[in-house]
Amino acid sequence: MPISPRILGLFVSLSLALMGIEIHADESAVDFDLNVKPILAAHCFDCHGEDAQESGLRLDRTDTRALGGNSGAAILPGKSADSPLLIAIRGGNERVPKMPPDGPMLSAKEIDLLVRWIDAGAVAPADAEQLASRQSDHWSFQPLSAVSPPQVSNSEYVRNPIDAFVLARLEAEGLTPATEADRATLIRRVTLDLTGLPPAVEEVDAYLNDPREDAYEIVVDRLLASPHYGERWGRQWLDVARYADSNGYTIDGARSIWKYRDWVIEAFNRDLPFDQFAIEQLAGDLLPGATIAQKIATGFHRNTMVNEEGGTDKEQFRVEAVVDRVSTTGVAFMGLTLGCARCHDHKFDPISQREFYQIFAVFNGADEPTLPVPTQQQSKELPAIDAEIKQSLERLAMVDANIGTRQAEWEAAYSAKSEQDRAAFKFAPEVTAALAIPAGQRSTEQLDLIRGVYQKIDPERIPLAESIESLKRQQEQVKKSITTTLVMRERKEPRETFVHVRGDFLQPGAPVKPGVPAVLPPLTARGVQTDRLDFARWLVDDEHPLTARVTVNRIWQTYFGQGLVATENDFGLQGEAPSHPELLDWLARTLMTAGWSQKALHRLIVTSGVYRQSSHARPELAGADPYNKLLARQVRLRLEAEAIRDSALGASGLLSRELGGPGVYPPQPEGIYRFTQQVKFWGTAKDSDRYRRGLYTYLWRSSPYPFLKTFDVPDAVVACTRRPRSNTPLQALTLANDLAFVEIAQGYASNLLAQPTLGDRARAEQAFRQALARKPNEHELIRLLEYLELQRAHFAASPKAAAQVAQRDSGAPNAAEVAAWTMVARVLLNLDEFITRE
Amino acid sequence: MADRNQPLNELHARTRRHFFAECGVGLGSIALASLLNDEAQAAIEPLVLQDPLAPRRPHFAPKAKRVIFLFMAGGPSQLELFDYKPKLQELSGQVVPPEFTKNKRFAFIKGDAKLLGTTRKFARHGQCGAELSDLLPGLASVADDVCIVKSMVTDVFNHGPAKVFLNTGSSRFGMPSMGAWLTYGIGSESRDLPGFVVLQSGPRGPRGGNPLWGSGFLPTAYQGVPFLSGPEPILNLSNPPGVDRTRQAEFLNTVQQLNSERLAAVGDPEISTRISAYEMAYRMQTSAPELIDISGESAATLAMYGAEPGKPSFANNCLLARRLVERGVRFVQLYHTDWDHHGNHDTHLGEPLDARCKETDGPAAALIKDLKARGLLDDTLVVWGGEFGRTPMGEPRDLIGRDHHVDGYTMWLAGGGIKGGQSIGATDELGYYVVEDRVHVHDLQATMLHLLGLDHLKLTYQFQGRQFRLTDVGGNLVTKMIA
Repeated sequence: MPISPRILGLFVSLSLALMGIEIHADESAVDFDLNVKPILAAHCFDCHGEDAQESGLRLDRTDTRALGGNSGAAILPGKSADSPLLIAIRGGNERVPKMPPDGPMLSAKEIDLLVRWIDAGAVAPADAEQLASRQSDHWSFQPLSAVSPPQVSNSEYVRNPIDAFVLARLEAEGLTPATEADRATLIRRVTLDLTGLPPAVEEVDAYLNDPREDAYEIVVDRLLASPHYGERWGRQWLDVARYADSNGYTIDGARSIWKYRDWVIEAFNRDLPFDQFAIEQLAGDLLPGATIAQKIATGFHRNTMVNEEGGTDKEQFRVEAVVDRVSTTGVAFMGLTLGCARCHDHKFDPISQREFYQIFAVFNGADEPTLPVPTQQQSKELPAIDAEIKQSLERLAMVDANIGTRQAEWEAAYSAKSEQDRAAFKFAPEVTAALAIPAGQRSTEQLDLIRGVYQKIDPERIPLAESIESLKRQQEQVKKSITTTLVMRERKEPRETFVHVRGDFLQPGAPVKPGVPAVLPPLTARGVQTDRLDFARWLVDDEHPLTARVTVNRIWQTYFGQGLVATENDFGLQGEAPSHPELLDWLARTLMTAGWSQKALHRLIVTSGVYRQSSHARPELAGADPYNKLLARQVRLRLEAEAIRDSALGASGLLSRELGGPGVYPPQPEGIYRFTQQVKFWGTAKDSDRYRRGLYTYLWRSSPYPFLKTFDVPDAVVACTRRPRSNTPLQALTLANDLAFVEIAQGYASNLLAQPTLGDRARAEQAFRQALARKPNEHELIRLLEYLELQRAHFAASPKAAAQVAQRDSGAPNAAEVAAWTMVARVLLNLDEFITRE
Repeated sequence: MADRNQPLNELHARTRRHFFAECGVGLGSIALASLLNDEAQAAIEPLVLQDPLAPRRPHFAPKAKRVIFLFMAGGPSQLELFDYKPKLQELSGQVVPPEFTKNKRFAFIKGDAKLLGTTRKFARHGQCGAELSDLLPGLASVADDVCIVKSMVTDVFNHGPAKVFLNTGSSRFGMPSMGAWLTYGIGSESRDLPGFVVLQSGPRGPRGGNPLWGSGFLPTAYQGVPFLSGPEPILNLSNPPGVDRTRQAEFLNTVQQLNSERLAAVGDPEISTRISAYEMAYRMQTSAPELIDISGESAATLAMYGAEPGKPSFANNCLLARRLVERGVRFVQLYHTDWDHHGNHDTHLGEPLDARCKETDGPAAALIKDLKARGLLDDTLVVWGGEFGRTPMGEPRDLIGRDHHVDGYTMWLAGGGIKGGQSIGATDELGYYVVEDRVHVHDLQATMLHLLGLDHLKLTYQFQGRQFRLTDVGGNLVTKMIA
């Protein structure tokens, strides 16, 4: 039989009395419902009740009352004087504000009742109902809807269900889609989109001349199988992961974490399902039997910055890093601006400050070690050296066992020598003195001294000792040469986590346990306490309404310049509603039912009719759909920074296709580090590393490679889910004058001239197609040829200038020709179309 | 704002940054039309719309049109330069009373630090009677033009975050800097030079690097362009070797013609932005070298600044700052490093401080005189200061020095609507806490924007679910500063 609260209250008062705790003079029992609740209702519930929970405090329920607010408990049973609630209603102090802030103060009688109630143990009846998990009718928190593609009139247009969703909307608005782009545009578009590189002329020709129905799909499959796919899409994820090769802040020292970068590339190439992709990055170390690769994956959350400045508080910046992990996780997977709830409850979304710190607690339980990642050879080498050292040590022990005999013989021989011969040993005076004493009469120190001296000249010992030394050096060298990477590792004892009052870690408030926001589906932990692995699995659970939506939306945005939800980093109440909600949900479900295969999703999108439309402007739509939200055409998109560099390298034929490895140092202009606190290492590559893809360029946070920076590469300070596409004069200067870029133009020209049979016209056409895939029209061709003539005439007459422009071919007999074609290539590389995906 | 610009509702609803990305900077300027009244909006010509840096009318009539910010990186000691405290002299060598340091965090010193008086001599200057130390004879000569703020307060006590805080209003890296906000708000009047230029001098680069003049989530067109010392101030400004001016013109013509043809074929306004960007780049190739060539300045001017052509210095940079604002550049920021005088061998309050003052004091005063003589001071706001000040306590190091101090330090401003010839605010008798007219960094920022005709509460940008502004969630106008 349940005990009634009133009787329980009596018990408590009684036991408190027995414990010697002073009970208020008036012994008449205070009843919560009768005496206390009306007071709280009158003065407190408006801000701390069902509708509002200022500072995280809710007083109308027994369970939440016990929990307290963000700063901790409001009521300390038995201790009214120390209870913040009482301090507040008595006018507050330096830590607790006066309450109610504006309304009338409580009467002395009311205060007295509260005092007695608290001192009697603050007993109250249990809540009638469980606290319902927080509901929200905001679209993104609702489960994915089960939708089928709609019916459309023009069913011939529909290549796959994506088209049905888009076309239905267009038809409803009385609009028609654009025509399909021509084949040259299409293959350039899809090659750039899937691999970040332009198609080779041969690939373009093969596609143009392929009569098969599925010629386009064949191209798509070839591209998805290319290792360059992983580089292209991996780089996008690295933006989200805020990957860089340095520590950030002001000192910005170097760090080694490129193994994580390579893990990402490889994960894309083997089409690691996105759910697994997420789990390994957030909690790979916690997987049963975690492999090295799964540990490397946890580098995702080691891409936080480290402040190496003198006089900083280490804990402060560790906290900053954990906050960044929470924010990044929110933005990357859930499209939620969790960071807004760091200092106070989220102003717009149903995320409380306490919930922010519950997620903080999930990430607060990790240490931040460095993991050595030996190569196969290194893994074999180290134990082999160890074994050799062990063997040698054993042999040494044997040799040492009878060293005494040899020493005695030597000493005998030594004492037999003439004074002059003995002096040749150049012993220290104390050694000479000790040797003069007969062995039996020497002190322990002297014995040790002479043993030490003899060990160094013992002919049996010397070679062994030397070989051990050299083995140890070898071991050190191998160890030093092992690449390391930064990873997460769960602590045995998790740290305690508190709400940080006003976001200040020096003001710990209420203690919190790891958990997830109530507005999202509940999380079931494997053990007593939720850890990162539980959290990661919860994030990619089929029931989670956000992760799949956010993921497909971000991929969609890459293809169309904007997501179906234009605010790709905010699916909350401040974000924009989806333009095609049903398509979004259909894509999200499709991603999950296809086993979270990203390649399958890419294939679906790029083979749709919507994707294949022409990107030419449609002035007739400017009024009806100025922002192209209805997708009645494709869009022209300026290429990302790396893709511009890579395209130039690809078109010129200089590109090094080597995958992975440590960051590289392509040539950059002088004087870059005048503006950083410390000069950064930049050992400009002399070999094919000059022509590696942009994503392998060593990225210093405080001073990114200027070419990339000029084209909006993120500085990896926070997660970047979408790069801006600026269009500035500095970009013009870079493309026109950057010496690294001019070098590419020169290589372009040399490669063009390596085909000796071509005439000017054919060569110009070839050059044009290497850059833009399509054939030039007559106009364009004539312009290029006229320009070529002009340059040719100039450089023929100015051999010195020709030699400067021809660079590596400056000594060649056709230097003027190389120079002229370099200028032509330079024009091509500067065209708006060249740096644009049409 | 939205009500005034009905058609822009849709625009405001979404992240504007992405609108820029999408529709090109051309239409992006329309997003900025929220800063303009309807009349001005109607008057905008389509061509002007293409340029993200085109000048735009501010919220209200400005007193200043441009800014020169002399950033003294490292935290100059207000106690050696501006804030004389007899009581501190008297108690020098004694342990600081615990109520001052209770619950405070410092970069290096501990609770038992000893108070440190100054060895510098102070005197009053100008008609206003500004009290300055003998390290600042230059500033003393323009005291009546300057407003000294002795009650600055900041939030952060490490260099990097504090510098970022003064520049962006947030100690978090990656937020837009003041110059970016300003050019985003009102564009620039220069068509041949970047709207926001950064110059650097002193022994090393300022801690913080790029984020100090970054554009954060604003379009990159608004980020500061660091000028390099040497004949090529902007990266990639020179033609490649072997390419002369004629060849560059032929190159540009061919690119522009082909781009124009493409524009006609596909109708994307982004291409016309690209065409104008190439034109400006070409103009910059002439205008920037001309700008940095100070050899044509009169001997008197060079002498006044202490500038020497071809020899990089703060003096040269001050002269360049004048030349930049003359040419319509909106925001010029000069960094001079090594004010971090803790008391180590190279960083103490003896000779190193003398040297920093010698390098900066004369040129800064010359800048004010020169601007005044040219009629530019009235609408050019000059700001001098660092990320924080220094403690009244000394540090137990080899030589005399002080730790970072955030609770009360000094900056000064001049020109551009500033009421000169006055000192604002005061610290307590030890120079520790502000006791009068507290000016928080956000207040300074709000006031600077105000002088430029911008309401700091309205100059906002939607990012990651929030309307961001330079002054974060703070900022009050310091009306005493304003003439």
